[in-house]
Amino acid sequence: MSELIEHLKNDIRIRESLNACIHCGTCTAICPAASFYDYDPRELTAQVHEIISRQDEDKLKELLSGDYIWYCGECMSCKTRCPKDNVPGVIIEALRSLSQDSGLFAESEKGRQQLMIKRSIGEWILNYGYCVVGDHLNLDLFPEQGPNWQWVLDNIELVFEKQGAHFMKEGSGAMRKVPQQDLDELYEIFKVTGGLKRFETIEKFSETKAQQMGMEFDETHDCEYFKHVYTHNSKK
Amino acid sequence: MNFVCNTDMTERLKKKVLIIGAGIAGLEAAVQLMNLNYDVEVIEKENFYGGHVKQWFKTFPDFQDTKPLIDLIAGKPDNLNIHFGSVPGFAEEQNGIFHVITDKNLHIHADAVLISTGFELFDAHRKEEYGYGIFNHVITNADLESFFQNGFPETGKLSLRFGFIHCVGSRDAKAGNLYCSKVCCATAVKQAIEVRQHFPDSEVYCFYMDMRMFGKQYEELFQQAQEKYGIHFVRARLSEVNQNFDQSLLIKVEDTLTSKPMKMSLDYIVLMSGMEPSVSSQSIATLFGIALDNEGFIKVSKPFIAENITEKKGLFVAGTATGPKTITETLNDARSAALAVHQYLNSK
Amino acid sequence: MELTGKQKIWEKYQKEIPSDSYYYARSCIRQNFWPGSENTFIKILREELGKDIKDEAHHTTCTGIAYHSDVVPLETTMTVVARQFSLMSESGYEHFVPSCITSFGLYTEILETWHEHPEIEQTIRNFLKESTGRTFEKPKFLIHPSDVIYSLRYEILKKARYRLINIETGRPLQCVEHIGCHYAKMFPDAGVGGAEFPHVLAGMVEAWGGEVIDYPERRSCCGFGFRQYLVQANRGYSIANTKRKFESMEPYKPDLIVTNCPGCPYFLDRWQYVISEMEGKIYGGDGYGIPALTYEELAGLVLGYNPWELGLQMHQVSVEPLLRKMGFLYDPADKYVVGNQIIQDRPDHPDVLKVL
Repeated sequence: MSELIEHLKNDIRIRESLNACIHCGTCTAICPAASFYDYDPRELTAQVHEIISRQDEDKLKELLSGDYIWYCGECMSCKTRCPKDNVPGVIIEALRSLSQDSGLFAESEKGRQQLMIKRSIGEWILNYGYCVVGDHLNLDLFPEQGPNWQWVLDNIELVFEKQGAHFMKEGSGAMRKVPQQDLDELYEIFKVTGGLKRFETIEKFSETKAQQMGMEFDETHDCEYFKHVYTHNSKK
Repeated sequence: MNFVCNTDMTERLKKKVLIIGAGIAGLEAAVQLMNLNYDVEVIEKENFYGGHVKQWFKTFPDFQDTKPLIDLIAGKPDNLNIHFGSVPGFAEEQNGIFHVITDKNLHIHADAVLISTGFELFDAHRKEEYGYGIFNHVITNADLESFFQNGFPETGKLSLRFGFIHCVGSRDAKAGNLYCSKVCCATAVKQAIEVRQHFPDSEVYCFYMDMRMFGKQYEELFQQAQEKYGIHFVRARLSEVNQNFDQSLLIKVEDTLTSKPMKMSLDYIVLMSGMEPSVSSQSIATLFGIALDNEGFIKVSKPFIAENITEKKGLFVAGTATGPKTITETLNDARSAALAVHQYLNSK
Repeated sequence: MELTGKQKIWEKYQKEIPSDSYYYARSCIRQNFWPGSENTFIKILREELGKDIKDEAHHTTCTGIAYHSDVVPLETTMTVVARQFSLMSESGYEHFVPSCITSFGLYTEILETWHEHPEIEQTIRNFLKESTGRTFEKPKFLIHPSDVIYSLRYEILKKARYRLINIETGRPLQCVEHIGCHYAKMFPDAGVGGAEFPHVLAGMVEAWGGEVIDYPERRSCCGFGFRQYLVQANRGYSIANTKRKFESMEPYKPDLIVTNCPGCPYFLDRWQYVISEMEGKIYGGDGYGIPALTYEELAGLVLGYNPWELGLQMHQVSVEPLLRKMGFLYDPADKYVVGNQIIQDRPDHPDVLKVL
């Protein structure tokens, strides 16, 4: 059996969330992604079933290299409804993990976007101990935050103090500066459990892809490739 | 201790059979066993005989009235010895004689016992996302039969849109029942046609998983439903029910044959509740010390060849107490059980 | 709509909520966007109700957002969660209270997975030990802060200075309650009232005098979608989902929206602004929009706290019109006064959405 298929089958998320499917469509009926994208969690489940039962590695590679697995919003509304205890949202998690660890994510427009997430959320976790950090959430990356948020950012220390928060200060409280020893522990955890490895894999395959696409690539948010994956949507 | 003993223990000319449950299975078996010259006594928890069929309006596929059918099965009701409003409270077997005491303190000594305690409909409240008991006009198949029998509530609308939802409480791990209840598809087609007959301006949709039209004339009925009555069949399972601002019902389904998620407004939603093992069956199994199967129905001795025999000698079972059945199957099963009882008593 | 049917469901899904000794794990998004809410939770528990709640400095993100954006592997997330539990035990607590709903869902899912697959739990124990030298105990109770406020809603009512009533009309405020997807959709038993008709926020609204609105898209996701929002190219998904909810709730004329998830109030707040700019459409409030509050902000208003300490100035949709409806006495200028300092800056006004 191929390594990729083996890996997928052994993922606890596939073991738990992929059972027989009667194609009832209760998942697709309430799926937000199915409403707005050309995506159908029922069909995705069927595809994964077929791949595993026929051990079709080519089909798996095709799936992992395409956009289809990147539409789900992981809201888990499907889990509540499925009469066979399947969870398409969790199957997606397993597929996305495999797509990144195998490098195939870089072959699809939506998959390539993972670089942006790694360089924002991912790096902020290791640098700050939080998934999101106030002044990084600027209106360049997220213009929809509105003028009120700009005012908050411009006056962040005082606005936070008014609410009893301690923006980047020592001690406890909202948005405190997480002590270095704890950041060190986080780092070690990422190292030991494969978190760092995934970050490196995302970077590595993104860089190769940038070269293939003839785009500038560096480690900042300002390089051509980063801006491209962040904003490019071919299906307007 | 005061008790009423119905049998003279010293002198019995006929062997006695106790039947628990006077639905159509119990009635049919009673009549067959009486014809074979046994003394038959029946206990029934309700104050009427005929069970669920009595509460149904018409049968499928032929739209027979149920009342004459039950009369046909029961024969001359005065001949039947039925104790209404009674359930067994105590049961014990010794030397081939069953001693049963009802909750009304009636003592019965029987040479054989036949359990025909039937089924219960899945309680549709349990599918919370369907809003039964919360949104108006979400009803079950049983509620609809009751409307046909007793009249529909006023809706103030001339043309109504009905949605029939198949597989409610069946084929559903979350509802706790993996099995198919067999008869709901045919019932839905029957009821859909009846709605179209009752409300000529109505629009009727059936939301199905599979169309289980296995019996004689069922497939033809399905065809008629589409061709003559214009009933729409959508291969979709109901995911969620909400209420619109105008009080109509909004459903979310995916038409799986075209891969399209959709929302639809309906005036009435009819939930096809499936058959579940009845609480009576389960408590009687406990009382007599016999096992239930994986789905909670009474366990039979051997599939195919001994489906009316339980693990206990002299204790028999008939009808939907062992699993979902049509009327035809129930009656056949009851006759088969009567024969099994007869063979047993003959060899005693 | 029949109330008795709903009540049957609420009786079925009553979860045990411990009454004291909470270990609080803060939320990434809430600390950034709604820090006042988190502080209000602590304040209500400590100062109003005399409860013991631990807010220590060493805990971090649970990595939930990163996990659901798929950049962090499952084992990493599980080990970070294990570290959080280790900190809880270290502090001497057994009742884990994560501020974020995605966290709550994640912790619940992880505990369930470990329960069904002890070998995975052991692997994570080994990982944690190897990377940090730590061991951990699983919490005796995992509850969400909205569960805690729910269980204390009548205690809060006793100290209420305001009710959720429109003082001009005398009628209860019409409230939309929005439950975060990861609260009960995955494990309905983990939520008060289950997944279909959750009671955790409805109970608060009703206890404090308001009326809950049901509307067709009530159970729909707000549309965060993690990567569907974070990446600009995907953002249409997010706004489309939220817009669908607004369109659905509009006929019922809500006075406010209350939520128990970090991201949801953010989206329900900001997308109103964006939709107003893009389409000129505002969903109510006479051009001011519908305020989307956290449950702590709602509780704080009922208790009469200073709205600027609650953090209402963090909202793009102005909350002042709601305060007026409630007859709430407040000082508008105090928004800009911090101790003995004054914020001179004023936020720009959007082009379409009216703000105060």
